Amino acid sequence: MAEIYVIVGTGAAGMAAAERIRLYKKDATVIMMSIDEHSHSRCMLHKFLGGERTEEELSFVEPDFFEKNEIHWGKAQKALGLDIQNKRIQMENGYQPYDKLLIATGSVFGIPPINHFRTASNVYGFRDLSDAQKIDAAVKAKNAKHVFIVGSGLVGLDVATGLMERGVKVTIAEMAPRVMPLQTDDIAAKAYQERFEAHGARFLLGIGASDSIINDQNEITAVVLSTGETVACDFVICAAGVRPNIAWLEGSGLETERGIKVDGHMRTSAPDVYAAGDVTALAGVWPNAMDMGRVAASNMCGVDTEYTDRYCMKNTSNFFGLQMLTIGDINAQVEGADIYVKESRNCYKKAIVKDGVLKSVLIQGDISHTGHWQYLIKNEINLSEILKRKEIFDITYGDFFETDDIGEYQYKN
Amino acid sequence: MKRIMIDPSKCDGCKNCALACMDSHRMDGGDGVVTLNFTLPETEARNEILNDGKGGYLPMFCRHCSVPGCANSCMSGALKKDMETGHVMYDEKRCGACFMCVMNCPYGIPKPSADGTKILKCDFCNERPEGPACVAACPKQAIWVEEV
Repeated sequence: MAEIYVIVGTGAAGMAAAERIRLYKKDATVIMMSIDEHSHSRCMLHKFLGGERTEEELSFVEPDFFEKNEIHWGKAQKALGLDIQNKRIQMENGYQPYDKLLIATGSVFGIPPINHFRTASNVYGFRDLSDAQKIDAAVKAKNAKHVFIVGSGLVGLDVATGLMERGVKVTIAEMAPRVMPLQTDDIAAKAYQERFEAHGARFLLGIGASDSIINDQNEITAVVLSTGETVACDFVICAAGVRPNIAWLEGSGLETERGIKVDGHMRTSAPDVYAAGDVTALAGVWPNAMDMGRVAASNMCGVDTEYTDRYCMKNTSNFFGLQMLTIGDINAQVEGADIYVKESRNCYKKAIVKDGVLKSVLIQGDISHTGHWQYLIKNEINLSEILKRKEIFDITYGDFFETDDIGEYQYKN
Repeated sequence: MKRIMIDPSKCDGCKNCALACMDSHRMDGGDGVVTLNFTLPETEARNEILNDGKGGYLPMFCRHCSVPGCANSCMSGALKKDMETGHVMYDEKRCGACFMCVMNCPYGIPKPSADGTKILKCDFCNERPEGPACVAACPKQAIWVEEV
């Protein structure tokens, strides 16, 4: 009988794993389960909300992915529990046995402990397509004019652009003193803030929500700020962080910390059970999720592979035509570090270097030819010699240019 | 797979490859560098020649890597390694312009388009039978196609 490979979750990690399993195991039975009805890229949810794309257009695989790879897909199926002993997973409609299991259930958004936020009927997250659909329905049903968003990270700003696209006014509360605090410094943040404000957004920086007012239908109608000000709204969106989606594993005996505990091969504490992506709490960015999915899948198929490229403090953003790349902590207080800054009309660059090693970099404006920065930072390449002859922002891959015997580029030592 | 091989010692930095690339990807239906409008923002080469700082040149051409950092970071499915040709192809219609590929190519090859709505990268001139335009245009044989 064919071996049964089960993947729970159809996000980046799950889909990358499915493709890899099919590559190695032509005859295995591959089953995917997802709570969603559409496999979608959550990085594009704002394009759905803004009316730029349909549900189908959020897919990051070919429309015939499941048929072509002969994968059985159980849509709209919530995983309820894991039975390690009997090697089966409990779904809403019964038990699914497995020979090998990959848990790629991602993360869930958190709701801050503000009065009524966790009980009101009009508080949403922005993580799954179902969240975007709920917001879409709420905008239509309420003919919403004003939305209160908690958090100005990438998710908060994404959902803001989607709503602004539809003419909804947004107020965004951010506890930090600047927008997108993990990726920006004050200067880069201001450039984004100005663009959002020019399109009608209002930011409350360094200000939290402290209370809210509800009506008799259990809907929040206004948020009360720590300053005492009251901001009226049609509904609230929480974009202030996520946590691994592991609550359903409680009592299963699977070892968890913040996320599911895995080794370098993405193996969990249970035999033949692997985990990848956000659910491991190892990284919250797309490329790493896909890598983890592929590593897990390879090991599930008996191809020994290790997850080594773990660097994950990296991101790009693109709002109102302004692009930005950030690698590392650009606000780090590193003793004895050199801070390089270069500003021109359309570009802002900042780099933190300690003992010749680049710690973090931010490029805002033209981000062409910036791929080498991640490599230099994560591999802690010493730049002292190069810095004697050129400015830091003039460093390119060309300074390390080398080709191997099949013509691929590599980094010269 | 077919790859554009590089011998930097032969490169004169003439950038005929860049012109050929621009011409090969022009959208106005014209053909031939002589009629190419260099001032259009969309007239942009997908390859580049860097100065090596020692009087020589470094041709920067997409390697269509065996493990492509760009495609491995793509959240829209726009970038994919074609299992038949081995080339990393880009579907502009799917692209979400997030630019994670720009960040994740260790060699800095894919770049945002001038209008910031998509990326530009080598498409091997869509596998045209006569091979990529850049290779045909190189007067020094600093780049050539090889089966690897």
